[in-house]
Amino acid sequence: MSRGEFAVIGSGEVPTGNLPERTEFEIAYTVARMAIQDAGIDKSEIGAVLCAQHIMSNPNNDYNTEMVFGRLPEAIGAKGCKITCMTSSGGASSFSIRKTAEGILHSGEADTVLVVHAQRFSQFNANEQAKYFSIAGSDVEWEVPYGMTYNSLAAMITQGYMTYTGTTIEQVAAVCVACRRWAMLQPNAMFNNKEITIDKVVNARMVSYPLTTLMCNVLGDGGSAYIMTTAEKAKKLCDKPVYILSDASDYSHRTITRAKQPDLDLLSKFLSPIANEAYEGAGLGPEDMDIYEIYGSYPVINLMVMDSLGFVEPGKSGALVEAGETSPGGKYPCSTNGEAMSFGHTGTGCGFNIFVESVRQLQGKAGKAQVEGAKFIIENCGGGAFMDCHFTVMGNEIPG
Amino acid sequence: MSNKKEPISIDTIKAMMNLSDEDLVKPLPLPTRWSQPFWDAAKEHKLTLKKCSKCGNIDHPPYLYCTNCMADEHEWIEASGKAKLVAYAINEFGVPFPFWADLPYVVALIDLPEGPRMISNIVQCDQDKLENGMDLEVVWDDVSEDISLPKWKPAGK
Repeated sequence: MSRGEFAVIGSGEVPTGNLPERTEFEIAYTVARMAIQDAGIDKSEIGAVLCAQHIMSNPNNDYNTEMVFGRLPEAIGAKGCKITCMTSSGGASSFSIRKTAEGILHSGEADTVLVVHAQRFSQFNANEQAKYFSIAGSDVEWEVPYGMTYNSLAAMITQGYMTYTGTTIEQVAAVCVACRRWAMLQPNAMFNNKEITIDKVVNARMVSYPLTTLMCNVLGDGGSAYIMTTAEKAKKLCDKPVYILSDASDYSHRTITRAKQPDLDLLSKFLSPIANEAYEGAGLGPEDMDIYEIYGSYPVINLMVMDSLGFVEPGKSGALVEAGETSPGGKYPCSTNGEAMSFGHTGTGCGFNIFVESVRQLQGKAGKAQVEGAKFIIENCGGGAFMDCHFTVMGNEIPG
Repeated sequence: MSNKKEPISIDTIKAMMNLSDEDLVKPLPLPTRWSQPFWDAAKEHKLTLKKCSKCGNIDHPPYLYCTNCMADEHEWIEASGKAKLVAYAINEFGVPFPFWADLPYVVALIDLPEGPRMISNIVQCDQDKLENGMDLEVVWDDVSEDISLPKWKPAGK
């Protein structure tokens, strides 16, 4: 892929929340139309429709089965669609689906691709959700029998990171406070009407020491979609196409015990080379980025990603966040949609939510959350039990 | 860190959440063909690791063949039963039902001197005595007729 070969020209998103009456099908159809209209294209131009995986199955009407069987192009009347599929890598799906879209565009099979994500957790009762999520991500043979949970994993990494870098729990909490400040500016965020303080976060109910409820994320129903085209087509259709300038990836592990980078305070050693490769591919550096759209899903991951992005000394991100520098008005805006902690965790969707937020920011459509004059963004996603990381540099212009 | 609370009884959990006996059975490892020797040795309270006979790589968790050189030839070596604590978490809430009766409990990342890392529980240790880097030794939890789980307590106690 060459720099700026592809561009996103429009997007759509629905509010995240606990909304059982709004089915995942309704979400998918809604965000698809929003993206098509935002892009200003005719739906007959869509040559490929790509879907993200829905987490948890409804045995009576399974979204995944339906999308695999080609429900979406029919439901939206995409008469020009030649290819449809579902791609999944869990939380890294926004990357793997985008690469599928790019491959299709690069091959010339289509010049316009629609990408859709939808998720409805609320159709499953609290017990079912708790049962799924408490063990999801943990190894059934080597971890689950010890009562290991996803929250425990994040808690353990947080505990290690704090001990080995000297980051305080207040600094960890500050990530959640910063994310909430951004979410308060976002109409689609699940938690956008109540401020939180470091004190409140630290003293909330303990889930898995050192993580309290306000340091964990809450599952929410939601969805988003976007239209991607070749740069050539984008230039004809759009004032501010969002170009994909570069990306870089690395895979670490399935089980945390086999992580490529074993030092819990130095996950930046695994992440920095990937971020640097992305910067180099774009011909830009950390100081050129107007926003760092980080998807970590837990505050410690955000800190580790910040440690790797080149704008702060590794291990010192906590202090930067505590000083308000990643919050609205700060020098290093991060995760401007409020991240999984305050925007809501939409399953495979968090990466999509942060991707379409990046698109909105670069198109000047981010409303109250708009970072003025945003030109370049570095964004990331990852899946599994922190199994991998993908960085993408995007811009509304191609650097000279 | 919160104070140790009284564990909730199984009957209380059952009544509160309207659960069956089945819901409260602790999940056990389902050994695979290549991990069965680990669990056979564990039953005898022996901690073993799969070591490649060709390149010497130790795979934990074990897989079908060596993840370094893909060879099938291997031996199961006995580990020292010692480890160091890398990091830990203390679960207090939001765990699967079968573990409610154990709350609060410690899950930990530990390093074996033989090379691999493991996830396990720290037991027989006051939670305020936990310290990253502390020495641990293995103890066995006979959770079923077929499965014993290696868990870890502070060394020398």
